[in-house]
Amino acid sequence: MKLATIGVGNAGSKVIDRMVEFEQATGRDLCRHTLVINTARTDLAKPKHVPEDRRLLIGETHKKAKGHGVGGDAAVGAEVAQTEIDEIRRIFDDVEIHEVDAILVAAGLGGGTGSGAAPVVIEELQKMYDEPVYGLGMLPGKYEGGRPALNAARSLQSFVNKVDNFIAFDNDAWRSRGQTIEEGYEEMNRELATRIVTLLAAGEVDESEVGENAMDSSDIMRTLEVGGVSSIGYASTGVDTPDDGLLSRFSEAEVSEMESTDAAKIKGLVRRAVNSRLTVPCDVASADRALIIFAGPSSEISRKGVESARDWLEQETETVDVLAGDDPRPNSETLAAAVLLSNVTETPRIKEIQDQAVDAQNTIEQQEAVREEEIESLITDDNNDLDPIV
Amino acid sequence: MKLALFGVGNAGTRLLDQLILAEDTTGRNFTDGHVLAFNTAPAAFEAATAIPEDRQVLIGDTHPEVTHELVSFDPDDDTTAEPDTPTDADSAGVDGDPNLGATVASDELPEIRRSLDLVDDTEVDAAVVIAGLGGGTGAGASSVLLEELQSVYEIPIYVLGVLPAASESDRRALTAARAVRTLVPLADAVLPVDNEAWRRNIDPLDDQYETINEDIATRFVSLFAAGEADPASVSEMRIDPADVRRTLGVGGLATIGYATVDLDTENRGFLYRLKRLLGLVDEEPSGPTDAATIKQLVGRALGSKLTLPCEITSADRVLLILSGPPSAISRKGFETGRYLLEDETGTVEVLAGDEPVPDADTITATVLLSNVTDVPRLSTIQQRAVDALSAFDDESPATQSTGETGFEFDAETDDSTETTAHAADSDVADGDDETADDETADETTGEATAGDEATGGTTADGATADDVTDDDTTAETDTAVDDDAASTSDTATNGDGVVDDVADTDHTSDGDPETQADDNSEADDTDADDEPLIPDAETSDGSA
Repeated sequence: MKLATIGVGNAGSKVIDRMVEFEQATGRDLCRHTLVINTARTDLAKPKHVPEDRRLLIGETHKKAKGHGVGGDAAVGAEVAQTEIDEIRRIFDDVEIHEVDAILVAAGLGGGTGSGAAPVVIEELQKMYDEPVYGLGMLPGKYEGGRPALNAARSLQSFVNKVDNFIAFDNDAWRSRGQTIEEGYEEMNRELATRIVTLLAAGEVDESEVGENAMDSSDIMRTLEVGGVSSIGYASTGVDTPDDGLLSRFSEAEVSEMESTDAAKIKGLVRRAVNSRLTVPCDVASADRALIIFAGPSSEISRKGVESARDWLEQETETVDVLAGDDPRPNSETLAAAVLLSNVTETPRIKEIQDQAVDAQNTIEQQEAVREEEIESLITDDNNDLDPIV
Repeated sequence: MKLALFGVGNAGTRLLDQLILAEDTTGRNFTDGHVLAFNTAPAAFEAATAIPEDRQVLIGDTHPEVTHELVSFDPDDDTTAEPDTPTDADSAGVDGDPNLGATVASDELPEIRRSLDLVDDTEVDAAVVIAGLGGGTGAGASSVLLEELQSVYEIPIYVLGVLPAASESDRRALTAARAVRTLVPLADAVLPVDNEAWRRNIDPLDDQYETINEDIATRFVSLFAAGEADPASVSEMRIDPADVRRTLGVGGLATIGYATVDLDTENRGFLYRLKRLLGLVDEEPSGPTDAATIKQLVGRALGSKLTLPCEITSADRVLLILSGPPSAISRKGFETGRYLLEDETGTVEVLAGDEPVPDADTITATVLLSNVTDVPRLSTIQQRAVDALSAFDDESPATQSTGETGFEFDAETDDSTETTAHAADSDVADGDDETADDETADETTGEATAGDEATGGTTADGATADDVTDDDTTAETDTAVDDDAASTSDTATNGDGVVDDVADTDHTSDGDPETQADDNSEADDTDADDEPLIPDAETSDGSA
């Protein structure tokens, strides 16, 4: 698949940056266009792999933003994007949309810019183009607190309604001990980039090297077209490098004997992908459609293995709509399986965020209701005997 | 974030000076030279070492009621019952009168506007007016300045205002209570500093300003100047100016908590190596401090002495900044620390970020609680202000007055002594005084209830009365000049009342009201310079 990718806000921009980094390191060419949009000038400087002229600062003239972010306020994020919609539209002029299959908009849903501005951008993209627009959203962890949960719960509604499919990533599921502020979400972003690129880069090479089992962009888009929220599973294993002459000749000689082992290996890889941390934990059986991509040297991908893996996933997901195919990467040192579970409807984490959001909204409303009154009573004495100076 | 700072009055100038110094010591350049100091007495600038001279703006030097020269003090005065009264601040300039401070600033608006041209508000993210709220210039002129700034600036304008300690005069308490009442609706947020909480001991407050100001500057800079160090390192979860603005956006009063923890890198490294040699280390704790340490640090900042002590659960929004080497701050600790704030304060509006300081050997947690509404200290000051008002109202029936003015420990003794003195004094002095007092009191009560604007003018009767009320009720401060102001007004009765009261105060200060009660002029003479003698004589004449 060939993508135009847009990162909105800090988290979204970082993921796009990591995706480009990963595809460059692995010789893929998924992101044909990259663009990052932010309300904070300093955050806009962070991506290393996005050209200067593909970074758009919005809200510089907005009273509350002024190029310094929106303070975690989704309403301001949306307002800023709305105000500068012409600017946003203009920067898409450079995107030769006929060269891409789809558009991917990535954003963190807990912050103000991502949760607020991204839906506005998506709405505009849907108006401008016929190509599907996918969302990639990072859900805030429980410990990020009530406000991010509220941003996320509200933004999720906009996202899912406006995009053709929403791929979710749960920060909480990927949280781990020992990480520092400096590393921040780098590790998570890398993991996510690996998954999303491995999945979507399949079928990017249209002419050459198309094996009969190769996955096509249209297959991926078909799996995604059901809409809703999707989750990605991933697992990889090391393979003997093909340029390792002697050894590879050995393995070729032993291929037939290894066939059954390879099949088991492939199936095992897919099991691992589904049972390992999904980008958003979900009940696999609630998936509407599913798709498996095997990325690696073709020689490593046993047809038998692919078949049994597909059968297994059909059972797990309780759907017959399971596609499986290859993404041949002759020079790859790993064999990876990426599993897309499309339109999963049982995602406990989203329910939790919604509950946290409802509580947060109530608290916020209560605070707002008494705010002016409390300030007034704080600064005046009981009988209002004290008069102001001016 | 970048700030424009405006120091107003004596305390404001001192604190501004300290903040500019802190810019140097912390390497965080957050003002870019956008500073101004306003004063009604040139002496206030003398203590300022870091404020450039062209940024020192003297206002009111042509105003008839403003004194320019410092009153020279009798050395004995320092040891009297009121050691904490910042005498130098109150005796010059507007003489502690906020109404006069406001009048002077209003009259001098063209001059103030001209000086504001030196500050480019488009280059900064917010403006902060810094003032002692108990002072006449601090409370009065800053109110006018704030109004002016709000009308010309688009950026939010905050106030860093110092609240008087319990040992400071009733008059300053009254001024501060009124200042809070004035500034909070005008400002985008007010960050009060409670001198009572921050004084370290019972030494005169004058001697403690520097240490208090240093502590306050540290907190202020940690909060507002986070990320302004040069070169700024890129932070994953940076606090943007918008975050601070949003947190303070709810208005009201805000307060800052602060705590640090030593990283003690070398010790840690050695111990760690040793432990690993002995096989005692099973985890891999090399870089980050453990999450618990960070969480604890955040908890300590929340529980620390806040710039304005308050009930933390009354906070509306919260902001957390962790400063330190990014490689040493556990992200889990950061997250649990943030969640702790949400838990403890009961608000969901918690913004958190970090300020990377790669070489630091400490981690600092700075917590901003905005719109705190449960502030016992403010209620105390308000109560004292109200009592000070009614003390004036009920002045002549001395017994009643004693009951009502007794409030703060320091003030209590002073007040009751004063009242006694007054009673004694009244006996000796002419009966006219009491009548005059009553009349004034009535007028004042009427006006306070009406919530009229006190312009500090001396022409209208009502205004004069109000003026006098403020002066009078807080007259235990050395208000020698006030007599002057009051007596120049054409209302002889009012002037009389003031003089009388000041005389009482002077007796109190001398610590021996009984013996000196029968001689007003002598008392004045002992306490202040010869200036008051003349008006005193005049008014006495007038009332006779």
